Amino acid sequence: MIGKGSLPVFIAGKLLKVVFTVWIVTTLIFFLIRLMPSNPIERYIQSLVVQYGMTYEESSARASALFAIDLEANLFSQYLDYLSGAIRLDFGTSFLSPGVPVTAIIAARLPWTLFTVGMGLLFAFALGIVLGALAAYRRDAWWEPVVSGTSSFLSAVPDFLIAIFLILLFGVFTWGGRGSIVPIFQLRGNYGPGVTPGWNWAFLRSVWGHGFVPILTYFFSQIGIWVLLMKGSTTSCLNSDYATIARARGLRPEKILRSYIGRNAMLPIATEFAMRLGFILGGSLIIEQLFVYQGLGLELLKATSNRDYPLMQAIFLVMTVAIVLSNLFAELLYGVLDPRIRQEGKGPHG
Amino acid sequence: MMSTVYGTDQENLLEIRNLSIRYRTRRGELRAVEDATLLVKPGESVAIIGESGSGKTTLISAIVRMLPLNARLATGTMRYRTAADSLVHLDTATEREMRPLRWKEIVMVFQASQSSFNPVSRIYTQFLDTARAHNPAARTSDVMDRSRKLLELVALDGEKVLHSFPHELSGGMKQRTLIALGLLLEPRLIILDEPTTALDLLTQKKILKILRSLRDQYRFGMVFVTHDLGIVSRLADRVVVMYAGSIVEDAPWEEFYQDPKHPYSQGLIRAVPKLTTAIEKLYSIPGTTPDLVEKIQGCPFAPRCPFRMEICTRENPPLLPVALGRSAACHLLKEDSSESTP
Repeated sequence: MIGKGSLPVFIAGKLLKVVFTVWIVTTLIFFLIRLMPSNPIERYIQSLVVQYGMTYEESSARASALFAIDLEANLFSQYLDYLSGAIRLDFGTSFLSPGVPVTAIIAARLPWTLFTVGMGLLFAFALGIVLGALAAYRRDAWWEPVVSGTSSFLSAVPDFLIAIFLILLFGVFTWGGRGSIVPIFQLRGNYGPGVTPGWNWAFLRSVWGHGFVPILTYFFSQIGIWVLLMKGSTTSCLNSDYATIARARGLRPEKILRSYIGRNAMLPIATEFAMRLGFILGGSLIIEQLFVYQGLGLELLKATSNRDYPLMQAIFLVMTVAIVLSNLFAELLYGVLDPRIRQEGKGPHG
Repeated sequence: MMSTVYGTDQENLLEIRNLSIRYRTRRGELRAVEDATLLVKPGESVAIIGESGSGKTTLISAIVRMLPLNARLATGTMRYRTAADSLVHLDTATEREMRPLRWKEIVMVFQASQSSFNPVSRIYTQFLDTARAHNPAARTSDVMDRSRKLLELVALDGEKVLHSFPHELSGGMKQRTLIALGLLLEPRLIILDEPTTALDLLTQKKILKILRSLRDQYRFGMVFVTHDLGIVSRLADRVVVMYAGSIVEDAPWEEFYQDPKHPYSQGLIRAVPKLTTAIEKLYSIPGTTPDLVEKIQGCPFAPRCPFRMEICTRENPPLLPVALGRSAACHLLKEDSSESTP
């Protein structure tokens, strides 16, 4: 076990690594997005020319009046500006919505993505590990090939296909002249037009109605993986000597499944879950576009097509931090769950 | 000692009669155990020896009904006399009926006990789990006290081991811990599958010494499987030789060692290196064990037997008494006994 004195040192070391990783990634993002062809002003001018038929000169005059940025400035000084702001958690204002702080945009969008992707992951994980463990434990049952086959199939289907299928199933197909299961307008946006955001019943119901099919999409795109992972993990524990001996010791089957097989089978799964928490924010681009769901992924898509540098940087940073932190969490979690790992951590500290 | 085991009319602790076990395989039914009869008296220790694949492990796993899923008991009976002096039919018992017997009456220690403990929980949890499985009302402090005493009996630091994780113990310590755990509920029959494999020689010796003294102290019956005749000589009252799923000889150890009756047993004894013979002269039984999926005509050992007769390829010899307390399955011995006793 990690000694009491060395635990803070251990955590501090890990956090230092996190900060370093985040810094490297942010730097890369900063330069990479500026290497992309075109820039925000070009994009704005183009959109004015195309949409309003303005001349190029008119458009560029209007653009320079609108944008309070100097893209001609030295790249390195821009970088230093960005970095010093980032340290103070000031990521500047959006190019496209002038005057609106990037953090405000993210704060408005983040909860929606967390809600839908998080719910999908949670349900898929919970049901997946139960089904996976049962499929392993009852390998001879008639339903086992059904569960395993469906899981393999689902894990192979791309998530956007699942989304399109669900949109068709719930919103387009009519069932015996009774109309679709979910009114098609509920498959667009985060909530209906008539409700006021807040803790009121109509709003919450609308949020649930709009979020339901996206959540279902995330659920179906992930459940297969969890079932298969848990089934594999449980199968290897089922054949272990400690499970056999536990049975020879006259322990109840439920006790063996819970404390001996389940506990050990969960080790790799829990780590996988912790790591996937980080991808909640990043994994939603296409799905949110399909459902026009105003989440972080859709915002990133808009920001990228308009080359809204500050917004892009900040969203990428949020995703990076989420992934790096969830990896750290996974590492710490494994230490808590598996005494053998804890032992290894002891090495250098005595 | 030997005479107390054999001379009295003690009731058998375990009676296996004409037991046959089959495995379903892709190629057909594999006859892992064929018509085996094995009787164990209370406090007696029986060694089962034989080559790999001769059905030793299958036979002993059947006693606690922990065979692989593709195995079935084809014929025969297995009866066990409990501490409460009631007979349990092990061959027909359900899983629900077996559970209270396991570890409380019959302890089965499988091979590879190096990973017998749940790697994520401390040793004391596994002692407590065992005690509670058979007595939900067991008090933690009582179980801990008893566990500590048992661990000290197998020469371990009880307190320290109880609070260790399995990976913190060495191979020999784990084996001794498992033996201590085996004694937790005072079983009357302990079954061990190769109790000392994977251990170094010194640790082997220590384990054997512990097993012997524990057996003398607690008087439990013991059935163990081994390849090592050295272990047999230290631990066994009686030897059962298995070949290709059949029991070919059953004899008290001393007599067996002096005078093995079955040609296969003779080969086994001659294959043991002695200090006085050169290693090049060490005997090895020619040929290989038969395929147990195919139907065997005659004696399974016939193709390798130096004394093969015409009848051997036609008829499988039954296990018959050849002397007081001894039996063997060989046509040769049948003729011998008829000639010597006119």
